[in-house]
Amino acid sequence: MKEDENKKEDPLKVNRRHFFSQLSVGIGSLALGSLLIPDLFKGGGAPPLTQPLGIPHFAPKAKRVIYLFQAGGPSQFESFDYKPTLRKRMGEDLPDSIRNGQRLTGMTSGQDKFPLMPSATNFKQHGQSGTWISDYFPHIAKIADDITVVRSMHTEAINHDPAITFFQTGSQISGRPSMGSWMSYGLGSENKNLPSFVVLTSRGKGNSQGLYSKLWSSGFLDSKHQGVLLRSGKDPVLYLNDPDGLSRSDKRHLLNEVSQLNKMHHVETGDDEIESRIAQYEMAYRMQMSVPDVMDISKEPESIVKLYGEDCQVPGTFAANALQARRLAENGVRFIQLYHQGWDQHGNLPNAMAGQAKDVDQASAALVQDLKQRGMLEDTLVVWGGEFGRTNYCQGKFDPADFGRDHHPRAFSIWMAGGGIKPGLNYGKTDEFGYNVIENPVHVNDFHATLMHAMGIDHEQLTYKYQGRRFRLTDVAGNVINDLLA
Amino acid sequence: MTEFLKSRWVEYSVLGLSVFLIFCLVFDSNIVLPNLVAGLGRWHPLVLHFPIVLLLIAVFLGLTGKKVPHELLVIAVLSALATAILGFFLGKETPVKGDLLFWHQWMGGAVALLAAIWYFLDNKGLGSKIYVKGLQVVMVVLVGLTGHYGGMVTHGEEFLALPTSKKQKELPENPMVYADVVAVILDDKCVSCHNPNKKKGELLMTNFSELLKGGESGQTLVPGDPLKSELISRLHLPLENEEHMPPEGKTPLTQSEIEILERWVALGASDTLRFDQLSKSEPLVALLKGLMEPDPMSKWAELPFVADSTLQNLASDYLTIERVASNSNALSIDMYLPPEYDVKPILALERIANNIVELDLSGLPLGAKEMDVIAKCQNLEWLEVDKTPVSDTEIEKLSNLKKLKLLKVYETAITDKSLAVFKNLTDLKNLYIYKTGITKNALQDLQSSNKGLMINYGIAPEIEAFFVATDSVAVTK
Repeated sequence: MKEDENKKEDPLKVNRRHFFSQLSVGIGSLALGSLLIPDLFKGGGAPPLTQPLGIPHFAPKAKRVIYLFQAGGPSQFESFDYKPTLRKRMGEDLPDSIRNGQRLTGMTSGQDKFPLMPSATNFKQHGQSGTWISDYFPHIAKIADDITVVRSMHTEAINHDPAITFFQTGSQISGRPSMGSWMSYGLGSENKNLPSFVVLTSRGKGNSQGLYSKLWSSGFLDSKHQGVLLRSGKDPVLYLNDPDGLSRSDKRHLLNEVSQLNKMHHVETGDDEIESRIAQYEMAYRMQMSVPDVMDISKEPESIVKLYGEDCQVPGTFAANALQARRLAENGVRFIQLYHQGWDQHGNLPNAMAGQAKDVDQASAALVQDLKQRGMLEDTLVVWGGEFGRTNYCQGKFDPADFGRDHHPRAFSIWMAGGGIKPGLNYGKTDEFGYNVIENPVHVNDFHATLMHAMGIDHEQLTYKYQGRRFRLTDVAGNVINDLLA
Repeated sequence: MTEFLKSRWVEYSVLGLSVFLIFCLVFDSNIVLPNLVAGLGRWHPLVLHFPIVLLLIAVFLGLTGKKVPHELLVIAVLSALATAILGFFLGKETPVKGDLLFWHQWMGGAVALLAAIWYFLDNKGLGSKIYVKGLQVVMVVLVGLTGHYGGMVTHGEEFLALPTSKKQKELPENPMVYADVVAVILDDKCVSCHNPNKKKGELLMTNFSELLKGGESGQTLVPGDPLKSELISRLHLPLENEEHMPPEGKTPLTQSEIEILERWVALGASDTLRFDQLSKSEPLVALLKGLMEPDPMSKWAELPFVADSTLQNLASDYLTIERVASNSNALSIDMYLPPEYDVKPILALERIANNIVELDLSGLPLGAKEMDVIAKCQNLEWLEVDKTPVSDTEIEKLSNLKKLKLLKVYETAITDKSLAVFKNLTDLKNLYIYKTGITKNALQDLQSSNKGLMINYGIAPEIEAFFVATDSVAVTK
């Protein structure tokens, strides 16, 4: 009765008991609803998924990349950008209207003249595509119709370390994940018995700059996405082999116990790197079986050895690494990063550049041909290029037989083949001095975006949140160059 | 029964369901339904008719000043809440909710919650207040709109529109750039305003001569100069700009549609231009090709559903299963040679055979059993069985894989006999047969029967000879 009287005063008034019972219904419903959110009350990382991040975002053209990085900045004027004007105006000073305020490195900032220097070698047109390629690269010239030359690359950095870091990680400042790590993070592994990102290095006789492991570091991504450097010689991966007297089953037993301990530690601390560590141990265990098999090139037939050049039998050469790259690609490694050092020709260019070209020319072309006959060019993207180009003017004493070229970020050439890239295309143009891009510029960020697109990744969608913001390989820039895609 | 409908339990249920519904709507993106509950969503189309009718009757009684029977209101409210929640469950089946579903969901939710509020007010004896009447009116309007949007979700946006023959027809082999492509884009995106009935801006876009004539602001297009053509420049204006076409609220042109119009104008805006007259480097070629080849994902849209858990069970350290794209049921499978080869993992693939579109079994000791599984993969487009012991007998089992586009059988013992099988695979585009028993002369027949087929017989002999002769690498240490 009391309740009814209350209602008369104010129909919306509720008594305490009624309020609590309604409240409990409300909370109960919320609790029921929250059951629909998986892992709401489960701390720490998300459960493992078959496809780590819900990508590829669309059907990819390329499943893996072989990146033949020419560290040091090979000269475009002795490789892929033919500029007859430089011969006509040989020795003349670079017009200010062309230089247009471009900064200089410390190595030429002291020069008061910038005399134009023609190519140290001759160019010819090759293939149906009529691609201009220098005589330093006779083998690549033979495959002109299989590759796409981009002559309008440009970058922001002018010195080696920032430039190569920019190319590999999308930032001039070190610390960001490498391109290969992003791919591994986004696409996962094609073959669980090998790392998804592998690095091979070689060195020519030309002037070299340092290569540091930061270039293949996973940065803030999980360390399992880090590039694994395979060494030349007997032990491609150090400490991978079991010591004498330890059988494989003992090893298995040991790993099981260690992983139990690690799991306990993980429960205690919640540190995800512990899980990575467990995964790494397992990977190493499987690599004990898989790596020696993949790295053993002794079974390659004579015809393949002839194709890549005799050098491919000498461990540590570019040719050996190129052949190795094909074997790794066959075995489902996502990102195979080769570096060939020695392209920094500040002096002695004609001689040194010819030597460098000899190191890589045949094996690079052979790799493309070998992939092609195996149908792997269909889904493997090969990239060849350095971190920047070189100046059209001479560094040091003006002597066409022995001169140097300084670093040049505003225009340089790279080539790509396979994996959803149009073959036989000549993309982008530089001015008659080869100094500025005048048509279809491709920035490093654009290059990254295009590479990711070929791999089925929308470069704007693949992000990782770190220190309060989302990072991506292309950061806040980059456009996919659709004209390059088949 | 009447007693029960007045009991406190009913009140609790209404409150509980309302809170649950709000929770669902708010945390939509975080929610993943267990299979058991997800199936309930399928009842939504059945149940939804009850609250519509009951609520309309209740509102009718309320608005005409009659007493709304409490029992009617209770059942109406409960069914409305149940319908909304089931609808939410059903909506979770769609991976990405479009605009239609978004509005349907929120308006439907609003109807149920308004009904719940009405119920509570009615419980307190406030049922005849004027604001309750207002609430009833709003509810009726929302019921109508929700129903309309729901209808569009199930039957398509065009369902109520006048019947048109606007079915996306496939482009002919050698399309006319204007008639088959440009005009279709204009019809689709512009003609709804620029037709003889509406004639916005005095511009008609219904045929070629009217288009050239232009409208209020003069010429629509300057043949050869897209930058000066208003048809193009207006497409490029920022969306907020008044002059942007199509105006706000209408479907804008896609990037490739804009590019097509632009290139067409740049090439002289001719109505007789045909696809095969374009030079190879012309960007329009790629754009038109994009239209001629349907989206690769759409052909896989009909594949049966396959759960992540199934894939996880079938995969192993040596068998990788990936979806070709995250939201696709088409699968790409790679197998690597394990230390101890066992046929079982491959046999187990039989249950997802229809989903496999790419299969890489190269280098494995394949036998008849494995080939039988492959033969069941009807949708296979990409098959790698190179470096395996397969022979002509095994290849015969591939005869039914009519969708096969790429086949790698290099470094196997197959001979000319297999060519008959390849000849029947009419979709085949790439065939890799170097280091097999197939003779070069026998290939001519295959090539002439399938002109689009690229047969790769290994590296061209002249290139190989050049590489061998000019080993450019001086052996270094």
